[in-house]
Amino acid sequence: MSGMTKSGAASRPPRFSPLKGLAVGLCAGLVLLAACGGNKATGGNASSGGTLTFLTQSAQILHLDPQRNYTGEDLAFASGYLHRTLTAYKISSNSDSAGQIVPDLATDTGTSSDGGRVWKFTLRDGVKWENGQPVTCADVKYGVSRTFATSVITDGPTYAISLLDIPSAKDGSSVYKGPYVTTGNDQAAYDKAVSCSGSTITFRLKQPQGDFNYTVTLLSFSPVPQAFDSGEKYDDRPLSDGPYKILSYKKKTKLVLVRNPDWSSSTDSYRPAYPDRIEYLFGIQDAIITERLIADAGDDQRSLSPDSIDSAKLASVFGDSRLKDRRFNELDPYVRYYAINTTKVPELKHRQAILAAVDRAQLRKIAGGTYAGDYADGVVKPNLALDYSPTGLWDTLLGKAIPPEGDAAYAKTLIKESGKPFPNPITIDYPKSPENDKAAASLVASLAKAGIIAKPNGLEPGSYYGIVLDPAKQGAMSAAGWGPDWLNASTVIPELFTPAGGFNLSRYDNAAFTKACQDARALTDRTAQAKKWQELDKQAAGAALVLPTRFGREQRLVGSKVVGAYIWSPYGSWPYAVLAVAK
Amino acid sequence: MAETSSHVPLESEAVVAAVTPRQLAWRRLRSDKVAMVCMWAVALIVVIAILAPLITRLMGINPYDFHSEKISDNGGLPIGSFGGVDWPHIFGVEPLTGRDVFARLIYGARTSLLIALTATIVTVGLGVLVGTVAGYASGWLDGLLGRFMDVVLAFPLLLVVIAMAPVLDQRLAALGVPEGNATRILSIILVLSVFGWPYLARIIRGQVLSLREREYVTAAQSIGASTSRILRKEILPALTSVILIYATIVMPSYIAAEAALAYLGISVQPPTATWGAMLDDSVTYFTVDPFYFFVPMMALLVTVLAFNLLGDALRDALETHDYQSVVANDEGDS
Repeated sequence: MSGMTKSGAASRPPRFSPLKGLAVGLCAGLVLLAACGGNKATGGNASSGGTLTFLTQSAQILHLDPQRNYTGEDLAFASGYLHRTLTAYKISSNSDSAGQIVPDLATDTGTSSDGGRVWKFTLRDGVKWENGQPVTCADVKYGVSRTFATSVITDGPTYAISLLDIPSAKDGSSVYKGPYVTTGNDQAAYDKAVSCSGSTITFRLKQPQGDFNYTVTLLSFSPVPQAFDSGEKYDDRPLSDGPYKILSYKKKTKLVLVRNPDWSSSTDSYRPAYPDRIEYLFGIQDAIITERLIADAGDDQRSLSPDSIDSAKLASVFGDSRLKDRRFNELDPYVRYYAINTTKVPELKHRQAILAAVDRAQLRKIAGGTYAGDYADGVVKPNLALDYSPTGLWDTLLGKAIPPEGDAAYAKTLIKESGKPFPNPITIDYPKSPENDKAAASLVASLAKAGIIAKPNGLEPGSYYGIVLDPAKQGAMSAAGWGPDWLNASTVIPELFTPAGGFNLSRYDNAAFTKACQDARALTDRTAQAKKWQELDKQAAGAALVLPTRFGREQRLVGSKVVGAYIWSPYGSWPYAVLAVAK
Repeated sequence: MAETSSHVPLESEAVVAAVTPRQLAWRRLRSDKVAMVCMWAVALIVVIAILAPLITRLMGINPYDFHSEKISDNGGLPIGSFGGVDWPHIFGVEPLTGRDVFARLIYGARTSLLIALTATIVTVGLGVLVGTVAGYASGWLDGLLGRFMDVVLAFPLLLVVIAMAPVLDQRLAALGVPEGNATRILSIILVLSVFGWPYLARIIRGQVLSLREREYVTAAQSIGASTSRILRKEILPALTSVILIYATIVMPSYIAAEAALAYLGISVQPPTATWGAMLDDSVTYFTVDPFYFFVPMMALLVTVLAFNLLGDALRDALETHDYQSVVANDEGDS
């Protein structure tokens, strides 16, 4: 998942690009400890009843259709209340523990055979849709098939297409075109890859993938009953098999969830489902949300927001001791960086000069200082505990320790050492916002000290990634953000630095590096694999493929009568399933 | 005492006999304290704007330099009271970046005043030209120009500006204007003046309609003076005061309009400062760094107020009772 902030440090970046055609090595270390049941809420006593309210600046939940939902916060929300998945991340405030998966709709976390090429999940008995119908294996199979209808089911992750063992047609697309196409559609190929026997569903994959049971935490692998599928319109009124169902949904205004009488706690140990009613209020300015949560009056005591605290108020919120039990400051899943386009700046020393010249301390202050995040030394974040190790980028990799304020003199030396003039002027692409404008101005100023002439190119945020992903339109540096799709650097490094990756803004095409990525993915020993990722992260950092600026952080505030709130690490979201309101 | 009291009436008698209407107006203006204060204020603002590069250099500040050391690493607010006021940052620094607020304010005045002044000149030029032609020609040409003005006035200005801004920029760039702020400034000036001139043109037309019936104009016509000579030598001088008054009214409204456009994000591009852009930026920090908000707001308020009061005083001083009602009505429209 990738994303740029709307307004610097303090907003929620959307997930962006799905993984394409990758198989991931066996991930034994993470799968082993599949405990059961949801964690109890952390603060106060959780009790049933009451109305829990979410306040957001967004106009709507981007997608409620499970196969189209691909935004971290929305995935967490929908899987906490409306949709059950085969497996789910453990709900825990401890990030190591939350990195483990537990069975949800399935009875266990799946069993693999054929070296990780075939995966079987058995569904629980007695799980019902909100209309009283049982949730069947056929529903899961149908739900997964919807991802293949790429013209209707847009914006969702496409792992089903890239991982399932279905042949490709001549144009590279899958021979299976989803459930809405009847003619010229190879239904048999899909039936072979995904099959049902009783309540057991079997997935056959193109290549061995040891952590496929992590992949199915994504809602795109959750069931949809064929009889109720309304195609594009399913997004507005999906059928629930969770503890709540949609009572009303008016975009830009309000979404109301009420209890689903056909859900039974006996089939669901993952969701305590404390509140009686959940309201999601849209289109409230972030400054107002923050004011309301600080004031903590009336119903706002039972409110919280998926948005970050208004950045202007961070200092006062964290300076006010009365708020100390209601505020959170955690690492989010994203790394912020400027990709350096290797086709525009082909000389290694030139790219290193960019890194050396930039005043990262100033960039971080513009984003909000320590609240915006920690200085980054690569594209793998400490959240990926196994795969992260310090790369030493700013200590040794550039040939000299570079302070956060940058070292313009050393940058000039690097350019001189290259023996070639720097390809001036270069363009810096970024999605336009007041804070990004300032960051770009800072970059231009610090690069100028090293004799690098940069031109800021602020682009319309809505079409930003569409433009910079086009090689013809991308400049020499492009602002970006990226977070893993699941807890493995296989969803980061190959995506960012190999030609097959979906987010290779560095336009890096190095045969040895690509080969090393493929080898790392094929490794079945997770610890050995992690070592490889650490090495590759270091290589990428040394090659100056990106200017990593921050391991992003997010800050949030809750009302005083919300129980069990913390920032849940898998999605950097609220632990929706266990939230409650105090009496 | 005695000497002064006996001296004053003597002098005034002597002067009254010799003053021109213009001198009379100037004398009235000088005796109006508010007008004088406003005039000095306007002059001061203009001088500061013109000398901005010199002033900032003398103070050792610059509108574009980042001063990270003045910014807290916890939340990005300026360190120190009143948004980081100290020497040489007499109005504090901008949150997040630490850019000097005073330097940005006086550089912003250059942009804001440049836009407002140029737009005013173009507005007045167009308004006088079309108004005079319409008023003097009368007949079908008058009718045609009148309807044209109606159409221009009926345009939903704000919508047109928002919709046209990017297109206009491209067109101007295609015509060879350097891309970036040159095209932005030019397009704002164009939009403001193209949609602003009909107000003045209507006033001028009314004036010309009555002036052309005056004896001295008829006299000029009867001795065979050319139309252009009559317009230049007989009619235009009589319009000077109404033009002057209108200019002082429209100038502050353009300063405010530029600020509004900047707030909507269609003024000059950062990091170039304008007052509107500063206001827009400071609104976010209103609760946590109110001083940063008050600086551009007070600058805008003082400038607009000074221009407006000066315009009022000028109207009184010129005693243009005939036009006064016209201009006063027009203020409501613009």
